Amino acid sequence: MADQVDSMSDAELRTKLAEHGFPIMPITASTRNLLVKKLKLVLDNKSKPRNSVDSKVENRRSLARYSSGEESDLDTTSNVKEKRGRRATTGGAMLPPVNKAKRQPVKKGSPVKQDSDKGSESEEDKPPVRTHEEVETVTTRRVTRTYATNDQDDYETGSDSDVDTGKKTSSPFRSNSRSSDYISSTLPTVDAATSPPKTSLFSRPSISPGFSSTLSSSDHLNSIRSRLGLTSTLGDKPSVSSYKPSFPSSSYQASTDEVESPYLSNFTRRLSALKNEQKPMSYVDRDTNNGSTILSRRSYITGVPRSDDYKTANDKKFLKNNLVSLALVVLVALFFFCLFFMYIVKKNDITSVVDDQNSVIPICQLNIPNNRPGINCVPKEQVSYAKDLLKVIHPELTSLAAAYKCGTPGVMPYLTEREIIDIANARAGSVDISQCRTDLNNLQVLIVNNPRWGLSVVQLKNLYTKDVDYTPIISTDIVVQQRNKGSVALALTDPSTPLSCFLINTLYSAGSTLILVGLLALLLLGLQRFYSYYMRYQKRKSEEIYSMVEQIIEVISQETEDSGEPYISVDHVRDTLISPQNREKMASVWDAAVKFIQRNESRVRMEVQSVDGEDCRVWRWISAHSSPKRNAAWQGQAFETQEGSVNNLTVSPTPCLKIRHMFDKNDTNPNLRTVIQDAILEKCGERCNILHIDIERMSCCVYVKCATPADAGVVYRSLHGWWYEGNLITVKYLHLERYMQRFPNSPSVGPYLKSSRQRRSNWEE
Amino acid sequence: MSSTSQKHRNFVAEPMGEKPVTDLAGVGEVLGKRLDTAGFDKAYVVLGQFLVLKKDKELFQEWMKETCSANSKQSADCYQCLKDWCDEFL
Repeated sequence: MADQVDSMSDAELRTKLAEHGFPIMPITASTRNLLVKKLKLVLDNKSKPRNSVDSKVENRRSLARYSSGEESDLDTTSNVKEKRGRRATTGGAMLPPVNKAKRQPVKKGSPVKQDSDKGSESEEDKPPVRTHEEVETVTTRRVTRTYATNDQDDYETGSDSDVDTGKKTSSPFRSNSRSSDYISSTLPTVDAATSPPKTSLFSRPSISPGFSSTLSSSDHLNSIRSRLGLTSTLGDKPSVSSYKPSFPSSSYQASTDEVESPYLSNFTRRLSALKNEQKPMSYVDRDTNNGSTILSRRSYITGVPRSDDYKTANDKKFLKNNLVSLALVVLVALFFFCLFFMYIVKKNDITSVVDDQNSVIPICQLNIPNNRPGINCVPKEQVSYAKDLLKVIHPELTSLAAAYKCGTPGVMPYLTEREIIDIANARAGSVDISQCRTDLNNLQVLIVNNPRWGLSVVQLKNLYTKDVDYTPIISTDIVVQQRNKGSVALALTDPSTPLSCFLINTLYSAGSTLILVGLLALLLLGLQRFYSYYMRYQKRKSEEIYSMVEQIIEVISQETEDSGEPYISVDHVRDTLISPQNREKMASVWDAAVKFIQRNESRVRMEVQSVDGEDCRVWRWISAHSSPKRNAAWQGQAFETQEGSVNNLTVSPTPCLKIRHMFDKNDTNPNLRTVIQDAILEKCGERCNILHIDIERMSCCVYVKCATPADAGVVYRSLHGWWYEGNLITVKYLHLERYMQRFPNSPSVGPYLKSSRQRRSNWEE
Repeated sequence: MSSTSQKHRNFVAEPMGEKPVTDLAGVGEVLGKRLDTAGFDKAYVVLGQFLVLKKDKELFQEWMKETCSANSKQSADCYQCLKDWCDEFL
């Protein structure tokens, strides 16, 4: 085998490597040796049971790459090769055949083959299997999996035939023999000692019934029948389910199971999906066989439409029930509405009330001396006339009362005697007025005596104004008195408001309330807006003032420091800060800022000075640290570094320096870099050319890069051994490479650094 | 990256140019001589081999072991060095 690999061509070698999962790479003179060696190593390891190198090789390939086990085997040759390679490695025993010519010697050469030869039945069936190998790959996997999960021999063969019936395309005999072949070849890797008897057991289905005592005879019949390629009958189902509890857990196949299961669960899902399309009846079988994933999926699929059906049916039912109850409710509502309507109608029907027998009608009788017709009694023959009159004027009164309630202008809710007589005349044509008068008097007597008619005789308080102000009269005597004054009228005691008017009134009042509320809300909103705006305005104003104050103080401190005069004119500061077009606008801010400074700024004192012969207000800067900062920073030398001293190096080796102790670790000044830069540049910047200064906060170091080593020497001598802000500084030379490594972007040619003060003065010039 | 050697950092810091093979991390005097006799006199030749092996660590280490009998630490250093250089400059 070794010389075979050695004599391979480059292309063959590449193919071989690809089979074993190596990345395809160019085979050159320098790599060929290496690759050949690798391949040999792999091939050697193949023949042994899996060891570390083998597993390493397996790890090289990603599972995802091979998880497409279900794609059709007729695709491309490369696909087939990959699959074969995978099966060979997971099986661990079978060598993948590259082509038919090559396979035979390889098989013969492998010691595994001898083991598989012991499975006698498989040997005879091999030739047909080989021809269909590409198609059969899928079946083989399925078988492996079932074998891995169950230890029961008969169950294994039974489920095997199950697959066949599902697949329909492959002959059961072939796949059966194929499975036995496969099992026999895998077994030696697992348990070499026990393999021969097991192999024969698996490969011969005729023996298996003798070994399985738990199965009933019908189960055997079914399994055999299905083995012969018949479709599975209903009797199959109980047999399959009866296997379930009797599974012992498989311990010695664990590794194979691990490798196989991801592919197989995927595959079986696909298979069952396929089956579902073709043959829904056998789906149940698949479920019981294949475990929980498919079971849950199936229940999901069938569960959804069922619940939908139930829902729609339920809706209809609910509607039906609801219709009945709804009709009942509507009926009841109608009934009560009718009652209400009838009640209202009845109340307003005056004729029925008037003609009621229970009415008290004082009839004038001759034998009672006090009786005076038209005052406290009514002659019997005139009662009907009075009632007729009432029936005539009642609608008028009702409409008048309604109109009054609705707020019609100029309408009174009563009828005076004159009006009643006019109405009566208009209705009855030529009825003489005295007759009407008599009827009216009688009617008044009747109304006073019958309060339940809903009418009352009223006394008007003031006749000639439009005010509606009357009091009911309850005795006939007063009626007579008032009748002479002409201030008697008839009115409804309890006038009902028409529905439309009621609605309009309600709407009107509601609308007015709403408008009132809305106005109030608007007012509140406006107030709130105004308040917030005011607050914002105030805030902005104060911010402006503060910023102005800061600017003023800055200008004062700068100007006094630069010009040397300790004071500066107020107007000058204003003109510096505010551009001419804004001066009017900013006047208030300016005044506020000036006032603020006067009150709250201790470093600035306002006084009157004579500037150019003119007295004007000035600000005097009273700074706490009036002396320049640089003098405080460099506090003197600790030891001598000049020429000839022991601390002075005669030659400066590099242009780079590292300065320690210029600042503390807990110095949080954000401008620290600028401060340090200025300090160094002002100390020695005039005498040397510095290219780059940077700081490193972690190690508290300052790094300086000068143009030449001589410049670095100048910096070294002027900084080393100095006190800076209470710290003694040490300077060391640094290799240029180190510096470049740390600051790769540092410049290597000018322009040279200048301190910020110098820069500023340059700008001013 | 603080664990990398100074030699590694120096090599990765700049293009390799005409650097000798001994500038590679993990390749010292002895290995350099062996590589030189095998024809790999410059760092870029080793880089070529590295690239031909598709930056595969296992294969490269195997190759190093075969060509100049480097131990696993040396070959791993060299591999890492070339890989970082490639990440930087390739």
